[in-house]
Amino acid sequence: MSTTPPLPAVAGIGLRSPHVARVRRDKPAIGWLEVHSENYFADGGAALAALEAIRTDYPLSLHGVGLSLGSADRLDTGHLSRLKRLAQRLEPAIVSEHLCWGRIDGRHLNDLLPLPFTREALALCCDRIDAAQAALRRPLLIENISAYLRFDADAMTEWEFVAAVARRTGCKLLFDVNNVYVNAVNHEFDPLAYLAAIPGDAVAEIHLAGFDASGPCLVDTHGARVAPPVWALYRATIDRFGPKPTLIEWDTDLPALDVLLDEAAVAQAILEEADAVAA
Amino acid sequence: MPSLRDVQSAFAASALFGDTAALASLGIVANGLDPAARIGIYRNNVLGNYRKALAATYPVVQRLVGTAFFNTAIDAFVRAYPSTRGDVNRYGAELARFLAAYSPAHDLPYLPDVARLEWAIDQANIAADAAKLDLDALGAVPPEALGGLRFVLQPSVRFIVSPYPIWRIWQVNQPGHDGGDSVDLGEGGDTLLVRRDSQGVAVERLAAAEHALLAALAARASLSAAAARATEVDRDFDLRRVLRDRVADQTIVAFRAPPIGRSGSQG
Repeated sequence: MSTTPPLPAVAGIGLRSPHVARVRRDKPAIGWLEVHSENYFADGGAALAALEAIRTDYPLSLHGVGLSLGSADRLDTGHLSRLKRLAQRLEPAIVSEHLCWGRIDGRHLNDLLPLPFTREALALCCDRIDAAQAALRRPLLIENISAYLRFDADAMTEWEFVAAVARRTGCKLLFDVNNVYVNAVNHEFDPLAYLAAIPGDAVAEIHLAGFDASGPCLVDTHGARVAPPVWALYRATIDRFGPKPTLIEWDTDLPALDVLLDEAAVAQAILEEADAVAA
Repeated sequence: MPSLRDVQSAFAASALFGDTAALASLGIVANGLDPAARIGIYRNNVLGNYRKALAATYPVVQRLVGTAFFNTAIDAFVRAYPSTRGDVNRYGAELARFLAAYSPAHDLPYLPDVARLEWAIDQANIAADAAKLDLDALGAVPPEALGGLRFVLQPSVRFIVSPYPIWRIWQVNQPGHDGGDSVDLGEGGDTLLVRRDSQGVAVERLAAAEHALLAALAARASLSAAAARATEVDRDFDLRRVLRDRVADQTIVAFRAPPIGRSGSQG
């Protein structure tokens, strides 16, 4: 088991390569950093060395996008062993992945694709999460994704599916508030019903990001500031679960680091209000 | 009810290839938006991700053909050469091979070799680190044993040989390049060494004899066999100077004694 201390219940940001040099130089005041695991699957080189240096100044979370835990193909043990090697090297506070699939018939689509909420998919995801947690020798955080379609075959709601995964595997949850909001709009449900179904003690991290509303569906682009209704849902989330480590994610049209730090400060203020109420 | 595998296979066929029977078999809830439009969001996302990832790996190829041509080519490449790994940073090795057979690109015969160079640079960035060669250990090898040593090149090392002047093509297409950007295709080909040093990835032209030596070492030939290849190309090849320079710049990072031989090996 990892002996790295858990992430503090404060705001962090997703670290992307254009910001690495400035973070190394200026060491901005931010509670923790998260990176995409696969971006550091390198065998060596400057990017990995830079992250190792940054790692000494900030708590770190490894966020995976490619393990494809929900794929009907067998679990990619090569991918899992590269993740394990990286986790051993960086000793992150958290290792997370998504409740989704990406690979089928040997082809990886390198995207976070939606699962049908069937008993078969639930059983398969739980088996794969069990296997991944056993291989990594640590609990995984599993994140709910945004989806732009639903299947007729669904036998349960998304929140029932997510809660069942946590209950059966003992995994922790990375609760993405933006994804809940996007899905609530796209599939017309009450996000508070989702929130009510999630076991709060399983939630170990929260994600916030911006979406794109220019098309017929909300699309989770991670390319904008957090939208006002998502902030409102975040407040409701913190009211229900208590303060949790909260990440600002930004991937598309990455702005200056200061914009991410501004967004993180908004989340930090909400976390501190909750702390004040509790005290 | 379709199995999970059926659903995922049909999803991929529909999202990537526009297979309408596969789309119908998916059983997508319409709910105010046509299932074809819903799967189209995924098509845009998936292809958009690859366009972005491969533009980052192949910026010169993109610049040479323009963004619209590049995007069309990448969409076709993705369909023909599936990604097989969850790590998109390792995807795209076969773009050069794809472009060589891609008839819309045949006006640019050097394009596949430029792609090979960009892939080599990209992969050199993430190759394993290597320690410096242990000069004391090398100094302790008896002179009569030197020819049997097998030298190890830094893991980032790649060789690119092209009948086109791809190094100049690459240089004049860098952001911030000032000076002329005309390239005379008749100026001849390039033999390039790509490797990583402390400043990042370095690319340089190699003389034919030095290429013969280093390529032989990379293929695990003994020093004497590799030196013989170099001398075949250039009778005046200065082995001592080249070895000294390539140890100093860490192209050569270790050596091993032959499988059966004296002790004193390292690496």
